[in-house]
Amino acid sequence: RYVRQLQRLQLLFSPTAADARGARQFVEEAAQDFARRHPDVVLYVSPHSGPGPAPVLRAEYLNGTVRDELIASKTSEEIVQLATKLANQSGLDIIRIRKPFHTDNPSVQGQWHPLTNKPSILTVQGPRLQPQ
Amino acid sequence: PAMAARLLLRAARPLLAGAGRGTGLGSAFSTAPPPEKKRWLRAYLELQRLQAPPQRRSEKPNWDYHAEVQAFSHRVQENFALDLLKTAFVNPCYIESEEARRRRLGLDKDAVALQLQDNTGLAERGLRFARAYLAQCFEGAYPELPAKGIEALVNFLTSQELVSHVAQNLSIQDLALCRDFPAPPDVLQRTFLAVIGALLESSGPERTGIFVRDFFIPQLIGKDLFEIWEVVNPMGLLLEELTKRNISAPEPRITRQLGVSTVLPVYFVGLYCDKKILAEGPGETLLAAEEEAARVALRKLYGYTENRRPWDYSKPKQELAAEKAISSN
Repeated sequence: RYVRQLQRLQLLFSPTAADARGARQFVEEAAQDFARRHPDVVLYVSPHSGPGPAPVLRAEYLNGTVRDELIASKTSEEIVQLATKLANQSGLDIIRIRKPFHTDNPSVQGQWHPLTNKPSILTVQGPRLQPQ
Repeated sequence: PAMAARLLLRAARPLLAGAGRGTGLGSAFSTAPPPEKKRWLRAYLELQRLQAPPQRRSEKPNWDYHAEVQAFSHRVQENFALDLLKTAFVNPCYIESEEARRRRLGLDKDAVALQLQDNTGLAERGLRFARAYLAQCFEGAYPELPAKGIEALVNFLTSQELVSHVAQNLSIQDLALCRDFPAPPDVLQRTFLAVIGALLESSGPERTGIFVRDFFIPQLIGKDLFEIWEVVNPMGLLLEELTKRNISAPEPRITRQLGVSTVLPVYFVGLYCDKKILAEGPGETLLAAEEEAARVALRKLYGYTENRRPWDYSKPKQELAAEKAISSN
């Protein structure tokens, strides 16, 4: 069955800073809606008062990866899109994928080895039998 | 320009604090230095943060146990009775350590005794159900497999490493209450089996059966039968199987050979019954090749080859559930 890999989202922002406006709007309007649509993600909203670090959306995944995304000067819709993108990701590291294909069954009839098409030494090869 | 500089400053700091992202844990915001701290102090504080011992997620900021438990039940797409689920996460080592802590703090007898029940009963029930259900699944899917093989498969699936690996990836190590951190694998195994027991109590045997099937059976993908089941004498086992089916004893013959006089010879030994081929296996020496051929023959007989039909996840298996309900009561 499908298990959403996103465990929790922490929204850390300041209630007075100018670049956290989008974050504040998100909290007022769209956060409850987002939480209702994704019941398996725990959404924590923690405003820290006074001048602090930039507003950040921290995503924690089931395999332990923690991803921070800056939401400074982003609108509420962009934050919603970002949050859904994080919710649909798995926690694997975002690195270059070496090849865009993978298969669990690389060989259907059996992988070739040097003895595949060699006849077995038990096969008797005699003179051709006359047709009856 | 001042505003832009301030914005730049504000954006730059989390990048510094996020430099320790490789460790994955640790929160920058509660321990990050406030902006008026000296620049030369930041490296030292960063070092302190990286060298701090790992802490439980429940001791870090932003943790709500009830919400996490609810999210867990939604993540697994099952509705649990929440109080049963919370009892399933309580381990006996946690209760002892809590009572010891309270006694050390000097509380009187009534306050010391915790009102919590631990999860041993639920874990036992979960283990029994899981074993019985998996055994029935395998008996249905591989009817030729003998009892020892089924037992080996079930033991592998309920073994500590596998269950604790599954539990780790379902975030049970955050929710389980236990004495040491990180939780040892037997604690994780007990907690996961207790979760299965809690599901059994809340939703009944069918849903629990589907749950067990969905989380345990995919762990068999890519595994070979004889990796899981240690067989010492495959030839003897093969002889028993063939006598049960009234087939004569197999005759081993060399089918192909390569590099006989070198350091790495390859022999293909075929097993023939009444001049018909049964199985063929490669090996470095003749004995090794014969043993491998016996293993290949056993795999074919038990229907556990690599090209068998994949597991069927569609049937809800109602008749199994009825038997389960009768047998567990």
